[in-house]
Amino acid sequence: MADNETLDAKIEALTAEELARGLDIFRQKLGAAGALWLQTCVHCGLCAESCHYFLTDHEPQSIPAHKLEQVASAFRGRYTLVGRLAPALTGARPFDRDLVRAWVDAAFGRCSTCGRCSLNCTTGVNVPAVMRAARATLTEMGLIPADLQQVVTTALETGNNMAITREDWLDTVQWIEEETQGAVNDPAARIPVDKHGANILFTVNPREPKFFPLGMQASATVFYAAGEDWTVASEGWDLTNYGLFSGNNAEGGAIARNLLDSMDRLGCRTLVIGECGHGFASARWEAAEWLRERPGFRIISFLELMEDYFRQGRLKVDPSRLTDRVTLHDPCNTVRQGGISEPQRSILRRCVTDFVEMTPNRAENFCCGGGGGQLAMAQYRDRRLQAGGVKAEQIRATGARVVVAPCHNCIDQLMELNREYKLGVVIKTVAEIVADALVLPTITPPAGEDHDVTS
Amino acid sequence: MPTIDCGGRQLDVNEEGFLLHPEQWDEELATFLARAEEGLETLTDEHWAVIRFIRSHFEQTHGAPMVRAVCKATGLPLKRVYELFPSGPARGACKLAGLPKPDGCV
Repeated sequence: MADNETLDAKIEALTAEELARGLDIFRQKLGAAGALWLQTCVHCGLCAESCHYFLTDHEPQSIPAHKLEQVASAFRGRYTLVGRLAPALTGARPFDRDLVRAWVDAAFGRCSTCGRCSLNCTTGVNVPAVMRAARATLTEMGLIPADLQQVVTTALETGNNMAITREDWLDTVQWIEEETQGAVNDPAARIPVDKHGANILFTVNPREPKFFPLGMQASATVFYAAGEDWTVASEGWDLTNYGLFSGNNAEGGAIARNLLDSMDRLGCRTLVIGECGHGFASARWEAAEWLRERPGFRIISFLELMEDYFRQGRLKVDPSRLTDRVTLHDPCNTVRQGGISEPQRSILRRCVTDFVEMTPNRAENFCCGGGGGQLAMAQYRDRRLQAGGVKAEQIRATGARVVVAPCHNCIDQLMELNREYKLGVVIKTVAEIVADALVLPTITPPAGEDHDVTS
Repeated sequence: MPTIDCGGRQLDVNEEGFLLHPEQWDEELATFLARAEEGLETLTDEHWAVIRFIRSHFEQTHGAPMVRAVCKATGLPLKRVYELFPSGPARGACKLAGLPKPDGCV
């Protein structure tokens, strides 16, 4: 049975007790700040044009204030005095099957929790936080799309979200080490595994070893060139955390714990999150909250680390190798939600000759459409590709041939947009751009060699 | 539920074109999916080597192989695999081999 039919059947089967309990769950997930946000919207409508869903489908249901209202109306009917006494006056609605359907549609089906609406909200409503509380409620009620939950479950059961075995992981690490040695012409180029006390513990998205390992090779090349004391872990190497998208803090915390355990086991100084937006936001900003525990070490993005290398003069590059026009996509969880916007720009300006910004950019960037777990939920595929139309036109307007995206999730969506909207671009990580530009004493690379793997 | 029509056979797929019932796969279907989903008019021996390896791996393990294993088994360089399947190993090759959609950021 397709996922949406399963969900529909589950909603039909909800009992009155389950519905009442659902609203109780929501109240717990919301917290005091969330309750305030639910009553703060002044319906000014500015959020409409900030949302890539509304800009592409023009449906009222896609306006962030409308999505918020679905959630708020149930809350008001139960937890505000006027809402209880005179529901019609406040637009309060009972939390019934129709409203549950509207929640699923709003929170999972029309929102990538990108946060752009919040930035453009006159009263500062944190829409992603409210949508995440709604998702958390639906998840606890068993109403999360099964394919999204499966990614969480796989990570919990196997230690990574693609069920890669330890043997397969180590085999690929060794293969990429050999490939890197060949590429830099130096057998001393290593990908150390479980090196105790290393300065850096580097983590990756399972998508890399499974299907796109050239990104790992680029990262290894950068570490080699910088002369870094680094390692990867044999266990607990997956930086992703779909608990951010399911809303389940306990499961998000358990997944984050894998990384913390690796750090404890290996005694490394700094945890470096590879190029992945939600992975960075989860590890750097959310994990401490989910675990109620502050990690005793630094957690930084690989983008920050690479910029440090440049500042310290540890990387020498030749920008003239890439003279095509290059633009940069700002992953929502790295930039708007994660606070990392300048390192990637500083790096690109050093490594290419024609770097142009998209409009808008940085914190005002548009979501690629694949965020918030949208890529994992097959039933919303058409909406995802339609909503990605905003990003596609942003890219087209730059005239760029190369789109750099420091997020493997975004890269997958951008690959699909590239085909769907016939953009004719190649898509790369920041590390791939750096690796291609590196001037290494051991090699004289042919000019213009293309390391692209994602076009 | 979305379906595809492959030579008169109605097959259930998910919204992204991955088979819901992987046991329905055969090589005729791979050829059909190549045209419909990947824009590949013909499948070469290299394509078939990748598809058949992924399929046999799936039948043994119920999962998708590492791209490392694909390269090892077929002797193809990694970059060649990306050239052969424009949507990549997951959305391209695995779909043509009749696998369900792999989990994760793909």
